Amino acid sequence: MSKEKITICEDLADIMPPEYQELVATATYGKEDRGWRDVGSSKELIESHSLCAGCPESIAFRYVMASVPAPEDTVFVGSTGCTSLVFPHVAIQNIHSLFGNQNAIASGLHRALKVRFPDQQKDVVVLAGDGATVDIGLDMTLQSWFRQEKFTTICFDNELYANTGGQESGLMQRGFVSKMAPAGKLFDKVRLPEIARESGCHYVACLTVSKPNRVEKVIKNAIYVSRVFGPSFVQLYTPCILEIGKQSMEGLDEMKDAESIGGRFVFKEYMTDEVKNFLKQKDDEDKARKKAAKNK
Amino acid sequence: MNKPVGVKEKGVKMSQHVKLGQKNKKGQVYTDIVDMFNMPEPPSFLTGSEVIRDAVKVASIDLSVAYPITPQSEAAALIGELYAEGYLGDYFRGESEFAVMGQCAGAAFGGARVFTTTAGPGTLRAFENFPMWAGARLPIQVCVTCRGINSPLTIQPDTLEMYFLLETGMLIWHAETAQDLYDYILAGFMVAEQPDVHLPIATCCDGFFVTHTKDTVNKVPDEVCLPPYDPYRSPVPCMDMENPPVRMMRDPFVMKSNYISYSTHASWQQEVRAAIERSRKHTIRILGSLVETQNTDREILIVASGTAVSQSREAIRLLEEEGIKVGLVKLKTIRPFPHAELREATANAKAIFVPEFNLSGWLAREVKACIPNNERVHAGPQVGGGMTMPLEVIAEEIKRYLGIPTETLASRGS
Amino acid sequence: MKKRLNIRISGLGGQGAVTAAHLLAMAANKAGLYSISNPFFGAEKRMAPAESYCRIGPERIYDRGELVYPEVIMVFHPQVITLQKSYTAPFYSGIKKNGLIIINTSTDLLTEEDHQRLDDLNVAVYDIDATSLALEIGGTELSTNMAMIGACAGITRVVSLDELEKALQDRFGKKYVASGGTATLDEAIKKKYAKKEMLLKKNMDTIIKAYEIATEWAQNQKQEMAVQ
Repeated sequence: MSKEKITICEDLADIMPPEYQELVATATYGKEDRGWRDVGSSKELIESHSLCAGCPESIAFRYVMASVPAPEDTVFVGSTGCTSLVFPHVAIQNIHSLFGNQNAIASGLHRALKVRFPDQQKDVVVLAGDGATVDIGLDMTLQSWFRQEKFTTICFDNELYANTGGQESGLMQRGFVSKMAPAGKLFDKVRLPEIARESGCHYVACLTVSKPNRVEKVIKNAIYVSRVFGPSFVQLYTPCILEIGKQSMEGLDEMKDAESIGGRFVFKEYMTDEVKNFLKQKDDEDKARKKAAKNK
Repeated sequence: MNKPVGVKEKGVKMSQHVKLGQKNKKGQVYTDIVDMFNMPEPPSFLTGSEVIRDAVKVASIDLSVAYPITPQSEAAALIGELYAEGYLGDYFRGESEFAVMGQCAGAAFGGARVFTTTAGPGTLRAFENFPMWAGARLPIQVCVTCRGINSPLTIQPDTLEMYFLLETGMLIWHAETAQDLYDYILAGFMVAEQPDVHLPIATCCDGFFVTHTKDTVNKVPDEVCLPPYDPYRSPVPCMDMENPPVRMMRDPFVMKSNYISYSTHASWQQEVRAAIERSRKHTIRILGSLVETQNTDREILIVASGTAVSQSREAIRLLEEEGIKVGLVKLKTIRPFPHAELREATANAKAIFVPEFNLSGWLAREVKACIPNNERVHAGPQVGGGMTMPLEVIAEEIKRYLGIPTETLASRGS
Repeated sequence: MKKRLNIRISGLGGQGAVTAAHLLAMAANKAGLYSISNPFFGAEKRMAPAESYCRIGPERIYDRGELVYPEVIMVFHPQVITLQKSYTAPFYSGIKKNGLIIINTSTDLLTEEDHQRLDDLNVAVYDIDATSLALEIGGTELSTNMAMIGACAGITRVVSLDELEKALQDRFGKKYVASGGTATLDEAIKKKYAKKEMLLKKNMDTIIKAYEIATEWAQNQKQEMAVQ
């Protein structure tokens, strides 16, 4: 959707809510170099969120929305959970249908968009929690990768079911005591990045959201790769501060701990050589373009 | 709202984004459905599965998702052959019915005309999706080739799954024959996609009795096809980032437990039900009526849907030979339920028999809930487990009511 | 023909019982009669019981599904009787008065009691060694079903040889849609004959031969049959 399409007709402009007016005035639709640096100064497509104060998921949302390369032609697919409370605030069309079927919805959606807009790049991005991705929806997550569906899957991993009150999930660490795991979780955190790599994802990244520039890079890589090669997967640690007993201001520390040496979320990236070359080339082009723009 | 519509008015309202008479990439001419039905070919002798394929061929479908389950597997595979020939935009095998219905939903959210098929246990595995489709106002068509769902396992026809579908918010039509199925698949899209309806539709038929039986069918020429779906006539925005509004709510009320969220949900459910009722006028315009009646002035009537109608027609012939006169009401649509039509048709009946291919007797309950003096309704005969319903059994039930002695029927295996 | 003819075919999976019913129905359709054919709705496996039904008549037929009260029963394999590979016991239950039973066998498979009960119903029984005939003329036992429909047509005259040939052309002459197992068998048959034309001719020859033998038998019958 171009910016032109969201422009308000003059007669109705005064009755439109301010957030919409602001979207029209400052949205980064169509801006080639949009990224996390726009957060705060421009519209990163998200209005006030409805998550807990200090929730790392809320900042993860902002970074993701700011990093999506072409929001004007992107459709998000979500699933039930904390993320589904945020999407109504987002200025990108989003589908929430059921719990766990997000990769099935995305499969049908991106194929339909391909049929309807054969000459246009439409990005489909799945954004769901760990319960939806790994437990109830694992079948559909994996099958979409096996089928080489060309869209990106992002998992907000908070290592438990947060929206329903902190139950055990497959991505929870072993031994953690939670609801439905009263004696501590009995098996290991599911190794989803490795499963994704072996299931046909061409680009896989696992990280926390402590470093916005890294999140931006990874999201852009994943979407670029999905356009050309096939499925890509990004797992982001967004700790549930509430359920792990942290204060609102402690989310960042928790993520930094988790990504330090020996932690569960040390940054890792898997990609094929082909993808590596492709991303390198894209980087070089971007640099050259930015340099040229600067010299103008 | 709900103004009576002159049913003789020809033509069904359709999108303006293509003109009738234009050709698609396969050279088929976009044609109004009423005109299509008026240009029949010489009769063909086909199985129900082949008929599903042939209807899909002229239905301008963008995408179909398949999954094997008896008895719809043949039809689902045949649609794949049409895709290979270029008649569909996309087609693939999903991983389970729950996933398939999600994939169909995704495609419909993205503005595609979507068709799929399922049966029995597959219908139930998919179930969470159906009320979601209706609530999301996705005009997907699923052809349900009914099959038993209880344990012990059966692959035989049994219409119990239709009972489960009744309150999903979908349109539910019940084909008697392969001819009905062909007509309903084409008409189904045109009705379901109307802006004041815009709901999913289940075109049901009895598995095997229709899908695997060879029967005579009048089709339309392959050189014409339905006008394509226009997602921008949808009452809810199409999720393709081509049309505002994008969402910018300060407070997403729907997921909060407050008064406005209850109110929104309740009124939306009522709207879905109202939309089902609004489909009547469009259905009548294309199919002529929601019911078919024969000799409803008679004191004994049979009310039925699906294959039970066929068996009843034969039973009526059989009884006629013995001087017993019985009338017939065939229900084409179950949702919307043809209340007014049924009350009118049964006004003078003294006894109403409702033969069914399931042991719950759901249709008899629907009929009883609809007409006055419902002690007139005799729920039966009913067969379960996919058994055949011999006409002799229907005739015997009616004769027993009339106090006419009957020979006990020798059943198989006796 | 004045009335409906209901034909029930009991055989074993792989023998072409379903194809036989479809061919008879298609031939009737070519003859301008109304017809409906369908298989028993089971998970058909090779050598397991398989059953199919064909209804032919001068007026529109609505009745469908399993045929409980047939005028004609065809038994495609002796095991239907000897090993009770039948959906009913005995295999002829439900047969109508003055009906007809055609059995593919080289010897009499019925017990004294069976004969008595069928005599009481004035049911004619015709034994034909259809498998030998198929091997001899068709060159493969896979043509057994052809011999059986030839015999059925020869006695009942429900369809003519001409119409059967047209149905055969329709079924094998062009791409036909069948369930997995049936499609595989079709391929097996096609490979065996290498050429489709040859397949059609040999099958037709098998039908004709069986038709002639059965016609002769029917003419020598003193019994009144409901099926003519």
